[in-house]
Amino acid sequence: MQTLPPTAPTPPDPSGGPRRWRDAEGEHIDVRGLAAPAPLIEILRLVTGADGAAVIVHHDRDPQLLYPRLAELGWVADRIAGDAGEVRLRLTPEE
Amino acid sequence: MKSAAGAFLGSAASRLLPATIPFRFFGAALVYHVLAWLALLAGAQQWPHFGGGLGWPLAALHVFTLGVIVMTAIGASLQLLPVATRQPVLSERLPRLIWWLYVPAVAALTLGMGLELAPLLAAGALAIVCALLLYALLLVANLRGARGMPGVVSHGWAALGCLAVALASALALVGNYVSLPSLGRPAALALHVAFAGYGFMGLLALGLSAILVPMFTLSPLPDVRRHLTSCAFAVVGLGCAAAAALGNEPRAWRIAAIGAGTIAVALHLALMQAALRDGMRHDLGRSFVLVKIAWVALAASLLAALAIALGTPLPGLASLFGLLLVGAWLLTFTLAMLQRILPFLASMHAARGRRRPPLPSTFSTARPLAIHFACHLAALAGLALALATESSALAALAAATGAVGAIAYLAFYIVLLRRLAVPAPAPAPAGSRSQVAGEG
Repeated sequence: MQTLPPTAPTPPDPSGGPRRWRDAEGEHIDVRGLAAPAPLIEILRLVTGADGAAVIVHHDRDPQLLYPRLAELGWVADRIAGDAGEVRLRLTPEE
Repeated sequence: MKSAAGAFLGSAASRLLPATIPFRFFGAALVYHVLAWLALLAGAQQWPHFGGGLGWPLAALHVFTLGVIVMTAIGASLQLLPVATRQPVLSERLPRLIWWLYVPAVAALTLGMGLELAPLLAAGALAIVCALLLYALLLVANLRGARGMPGVVSHGWAALGCLAVALASALALVGNYVSLPSLGRPAALALHVAFAGYGFMGLLALGLSAILVPMFTLSPLPDVRRHLTSCAFAVVGLGCAAAAALGNEPRAWRIAAIGAGTIAVALHLALMQAALRDGMRHDLGRSFVLVKIAWVALAASLLAALAIALGTPLPGLASLFGLLLVGAWLLTFTLAMLQRILPFLASMHAARGRRRPPLPSTFSTARPLAIHFACHLAALAGLALALATESSALAALAAATGAVGAIAYLAFYIVLLRRLAVPAPAPAPAGSRSQVAGEG
């Protein structure tokens, strides 16, 4: 898997977009607080444009509508440990 | 730990409904879709000259609108609006009750129209009003606590207001058939066409598009201000249509209504075009060809309305307007979106116990949809030609072609249900996904 150079978290987007940053785990996207279906679309847009690196999603709920669309793109999601009240997912291309 | 789908289906906190609720509405809609074309076939003799009144053409029109379009809209809105508004559905029992009340009521109303049995028609109409008021109750409860997507929520409120007018005008029309005192037929009919067609059904379609189109094209969400402006112009247009139906100077009010409606549609179509342009998925298949045709028909229906308002002496113009509004816009759009929604929902619900959900395409079958695509478009074109040539034989051929397409669509749905019924593998070991149910 490709190693990405780390970046600092972007400040909260005044237009209501997600926060994004990069570290050793992969490309992070924080969609907490966004109105549906923005989280779904933002995550899928990130995955579609990703170059195979893992995507870490910080969500405030389990994104049910996401999984069929991820499967269509050949990606899978795994729940990983996150903060209290957070649903954190690690998305990777299917092997 | 439960799987995502298991959590979704089992959690009281879920904003999404169990599969059986939307699927029962979609199934009923697709059965009524076949029956609608058969009703039109039964009325093919009268259809090219249809000018209103009881009979199979009127029955067919209402099987399409109430049986297919509204039935699908109820299922889709119950599933999608909670996603947009971040509010759970008030009750899971109420949608089931609505289904049991609404499905036979549509049969009673349309049989009453087709067989010209006014008491049956009136009984069906009353039951439909009750069912749709219960649906309105669910919608109000959901929209009242809405958080997010103000454009979708505004369309929802406006659609609800239009539903009230559409139902009141429908009762007035039924009152005319059973000799009860009511609003005059021309005024009631004008209100009913505008508020049922462009109002309730149209605004729900335009509102839900702001969720569905970005979801399928992977485009940014529509600009909220433009979406709200489009909704505002639609409401102004419907207000003018009401003034045309009830007041003096109906021609001026009608033209004003069409003008405001045109601005609303232009804004909406510009938003949708931007979604198609900026989306990350461009290969959207036949379903989006149908969506684009539907959008063209929506604009064309306003042109036909203008021709009617200006008194253009074209034979069959009123029927052409109805064909464009109901057949080419609302029905085509509904069926196009439904063929995308069904495999997607099936995949979501079949994901139970699996780390990787089955692909939506697993539930889709290409050939029935290809047959439906060809038959649907041929049927619409045939009906337009039948109007132009005043040919009953052509109308019958078009209706039969539409019925073949509808049977193919139903076959697609039956295959989907059979694939969905295949038992999932044993639940995955603990550790894959969360228990906090929600949506994307």
